[in-house]
Amino acid sequence: MNPMTDLGLRFVRRPGPGGRAANLAALGATAIVALLLTFLIAGSLGLAQRSDRVGWRSTDEGTADGAVGILKEVRGKQLNGDPLTVIQLQSLKPSNQPPPGLDHVPAPGEVFVSPEVAKQWSGLKGEYGVDKPTGVITDKGLASPEELVVVQGVAKIDSNYPNYVGSWVNDTKDDRVYALLIAVAFGIILVLFPLLSLVGQAAGVAAKRREHRLAALRLAGSTRAQVLWLSSVEQAVLGFAGAVVGLIGYVVLTPLIALIPLGGGRWYVSDITPNWWTVPLVLVAVPVLSVISALIGLGRVSITPLGVVRGQTRKATSAFRLVLLLIGPIMLATLGMGAAIVPLLIAIGFGALAVRIIGPWAVQMIGKIMANTSNGPVPLLAGRRLADDPKGAFRPVAALVLSGFVTGFISVFIPGGDSDPTTQDMRIGVALLLGLVFLTVAASTAAGAVGTALDQAKPAKALRRAGVPLSVIERSARLAAVTPVLGVGLPVVGFGALCGLALSGGQVFTQGNTGILLLIGQVVVGLVLVAVAGTAGSPVLRKASAN
Amino acid sequence: MSFQSPQLAPQVVLSGHGLVKYYGNVVGLAGVDVGVRSGEALAVMGPSGNGKTTLLHVLAGILTPDQGEVWLGGERVDNLNDAARTVLRRRRLGFVFQDNQLLAELPADENVALPLMVDGLSRRDAIGRARNMLAQVGLAQEAGRRPGELSGGQAQRVAIARALVGEPQVVFADEPTGALDAATGSQVIDLLIGAATYRGAAVVVVTHDNSVAARCHRVLTIVDGRVSESMGAAR
Repeated sequence: MNPMTDLGLRFVRRPGPGGRAANLAALGATAIVALLLTFLIAGSLGLAQRSDRVGWRSTDEGTADGAVGILKEVRGKQLNGDPLTVIQLQSLKPSNQPPPGLDHVPAPGEVFVSPEVAKQWSGLKGEYGVDKPTGVITDKGLASPEELVVVQGVAKIDSNYPNYVGSWVNDTKDDRVYALLIAVAFGIILVLFPLLSLVGQAAGVAAKRREHRLAALRLAGSTRAQVLWLSSVEQAVLGFAGAVVGLIGYVVLTPLIALIPLGGGRWYVSDITPNWWTVPLVLVAVPVLSVISALIGLGRVSITPLGVVRGQTRKATSAFRLVLLLIGPIMLATLGMGAAIVPLLIAIGFGALAVRIIGPWAVQMIGKIMANTSNGPVPLLAGRRLADDPKGAFRPVAALVLSGFVTGFISVFIPGGDSDPTTQDMRIGVALLLGLVFLTVAASTAAGAVGTALDQAKPAKALRRAGVPLSVIERSARLAAVTPVLGVGLPVVGFGALCGLALSGGQVFTQGNTGILLLIGQVVVGLVLVAVAGTAGSPVLRKASAN
Repeated sequence: MSFQSPQLAPQVVLSGHGLVKYYGNVVGLAGVDVGVRSGEALAVMGPSGNGKTTLLHVLAGILTPDQGEVWLGGERVDNLNDAARTVLRRRRLGFVFQDNQLLAELPADENVALPLMVDGLSRRDAIGRARNMLAQVGLAQEAGRRPGELSGGQAQRVAIARALVGEPQVVFADEPTGALDAATGSQVIDLLIGAATYRGAAVVVVTHDNSVAARCHRVLTIVDGRVSESMGAAR
């Protein structure tokens, strides 16, 4: 075996003082990445499967030539106060393939119902002309276990624009599911940044621990390639272990995830169970991303090992980056506002980019102000820490920028009344998205807090010996972890909401849109989550700085 | 910079009696009696792993002895709880470690002011006292610089300022010149002992360095957790 591979594996097995905590934090964060990645893939595939089962109901691609029948959705029906989907079906010629979930094509007068409708059959009071249903639609023809559906065979459908069906088995996407699939694709893009950031943070925790060791190896004569290979081996093992834990976690949580009422009710567990290729994909993608992130983070070691060993001062964040903010407005002015969507997307993109660019600078400013105006040791320590490494402090929040802005925007901008199914779907989707983003940011914050705790262990030990209470050290670490989220992340979500409010013409207030309440509730819960995550470094700091 | 000790009545400010400390089955201290007077510098020497640092930690209230008593200024302190010992260390003792252990993010003046701010002093007053202390150790111009921007000797002088700024009764130093060259080490130890004893504080220095011990009033040699020799130094 390559000696560096051997050494890397040995470091994983025996990580040294503080290393176990770092490895566990990295493993936990990677597991969350794997869990969310699996959720996004399996959820998207689940939506597609659901669409395949019910797509035939909304097909409109058939022509009179060769059509097997005609369909019509009767709108506005209800069962015991809940919306009821009623599909009328007229068979034009015999077909060997009945619609999914039905054992034969309903003849005129026959009525097939979903299990939930069968349970509440008496509530329909003979509306469909039969005492009891002809048959019950199986899972293969339902979007959700609780879906309320009636499929009624009729002799003739009267319509000026008959909806001809070429085949009863049709994978046409249901309109509602189709809209959701687009939303999910959009959501995946938004969650991707936080996820990549979390991978980086997770890799960074273990990498910080390794920095000095690797720098020592470099100074002892190891080549850059050898040091990077050793890190890759370590991170790949941790990433793989995290991916396995994340996949197991997803499987355990599947019954709970199936309860999320997105896109027309609860889910069949089978819909959101990872398929055969999702598992190897996650098991490969997560370690690969971890290794790439770790290698990027170790650039400093491989380039300036002496700087790491001596703990040289980091370069200050340049105010020059503010100049970059001008690029967005200049591009907008050049492109003009002719095609509404393009300038809007550019504006959103540059808005997010702007926050990413000025974020570290803003964190540095907040840190300096906090330290210079502090009258106690806690804000002094936290402020100086933020000012010393604003990029590191901003990293977990960077994940929140684009997704936080867009989520804030959409949650206020969502049109229509609250009872509209599409609006409800979007609202649940936004809630889910914001939940995922905050979960990711919280995991990033926790991983960052552990990394900082390990960095601070030695001086913290000296401070404790000199009589500084542990609570002061812990509170300052917590404050340093939470301040960037409050100081930069929260205004970004608010700014997004403000833009949504402006572009929707203030309909939040005129149409009773509950989006703003949902947003506020989620942001509060999310911030509490992030604040709790900020305490993740405390036990590590306590242990590492103990006498 | 030189300091001359004032003529103070030589009172025992810190004492340990019959100190015993175990690490599992390993004996750290096996019954040590020690006392140090105000304005006196005591060097603790001996082979590595024989109990020097353990003795310092027990006397400073960082560790509690398994047997024996520690008295500071007429008050028994080994039986205090952790919170009380933390306050005691902050208000009545000072510490200098081998590699200064300053906080890298804080400039020198804030590093020195930190213990005072923890104790409730306003930022303005704490920074004022810290700068005054830094001036006394010859670092008035470096008050705004961070540890990474200071030489090893300068950083150690900041650590001495931090140890003295609270006007402690005893200053503990664990190999304070271990990371410095001989010339810088001499300057640092002279400054530490001179500045501390000038204020009437006692100094307890753990060291391997005979030249450091030679600058102290007394030398205590610890072997296998026991005092093997106690003598006045050539000072």
